[in-house]
Amino acid sequence: MIIQLSKFNSVLNSRPSAKEAVLRIYQMVNGSVEKEKIILDFTGVEVLSPSYADELLQSLENKYGEEKIEIINTVPAIQETLRAVEIHG
Amino acid sequence: MDIIFNNIYDQMPKIFKEHTIDMRECSWCDPWVIGMICLKSIEYKNFRDKNLILPKNKDILLYLKRMHFDIFMEELTYINFLDPLNKICINEKDNPGVHEIMHCNFRDEFNARLSSKIRKMFTGFGMSSDNEPLTTSLVGEMGNNVFDHNEGLWPTDVRGAIILAQHFPTKNKTEVVVADPGIGFLGSLKPSNPSLKDDSEAILLGLSGVSGRVGEKRGNGLKVMQDWTLNRFDGTVRIQSGGGLVVVDKNGKHTSSVGPILGTLVSFVVKYN
Repeated sequence: MIIQLSKFNSVLNSRPSAKEAVLRIYQMVNGSVEKEKIILDFTGVEVLSPSYADELLQSLENKYGEEKIEIINTVPAIQETLRAVEIHG
Repeated sequence: MDIIFNNIYDQMPKIFKEHTIDMRECSWCDPWVIGMICLKSIEYKNFRDKNLILPKNKDILLYLKRMHFDIFMEELTYINFLDPLNKICINEKDNPGVHEIMHCNFRDEFNARLSSKIRKMFTGFGMSSDNEPLTTSLVGEMGNNVFDHNEGLWPTDVRGAIILAQHFPTKNKTEVVVADPGIGFLGSLKPSNPSLKDDSEAILLGLSGVSGRVGEKRGNGLKVMQDWTLNRFDGTVRIQSGGGLVVVDKNGKHTSSVGPILGTLVSFVVKYN
């Protein structure tokens, strides 16, 4: 299942916004994770704050397992945030 | 006299005295000092004897006008003291390196400005498409902290995040200040870390990545801000909360006890090519 994160916003900021997004993603995934991966597509996302990334990834990984989550189409600024969250998280 | 970060703490007793903000001798100041004046004006707002004396120097008056300092102070009921600024008419395009003070009362207001005005501001300062999104997310992180740690606890009737920024084109650097009249680091972290002794210790704990409230695991935002500012932008992070001041630069963390403020004042200076 591909989740287009730009549908939430091109600037992804704050933990509360990420919590809302996670609830929506739970609803979208709705059981299909048993058959397929969850692909987070960052096409069109320009800014990602560390707290948003941390909340989003931790919640999805805790629920579905790290191996089920895949990230695609990230620009350098997004990659940098993801790297920072991995190092400091 | 120039009043900047390096001498503001020596000048504090003279500038902030008995509910008066006295800037008459000021000929220049930096965004850190303006942020501090914003917080002091909130602290004094409801005192009947509050007073604001604006600078005599015309250059600094123009700078304050460009920052929309008069609009911010009018909001805080200082209208009777703003005559010297009200008489000035400026062309908004005269100084594109200075951005107006943004007071975001609510998180939604902050998020909306982050997506539009703040991004445009950095692009206007000439930041590259690699640096702008990172700097925007640093401001986002600072603003998030303001609302995450203070909602429901604002000590006065003024709330929100105050953001100001200045670009120094000849030095290729930008200073961003985020101020908030909230409960500060100690107020927020003490309930989950009762052994904290003072403001500086609370700031250091926050910078180490422990800034969750009771029962909450979180806190990498400040660590990432520190990491990017120092290692990616060769910059400096300054944090004052209450009477504690911590400056982080490539030489390490420097802690001091200083004249207290209401809430928290954070600045980061980023340098880029």
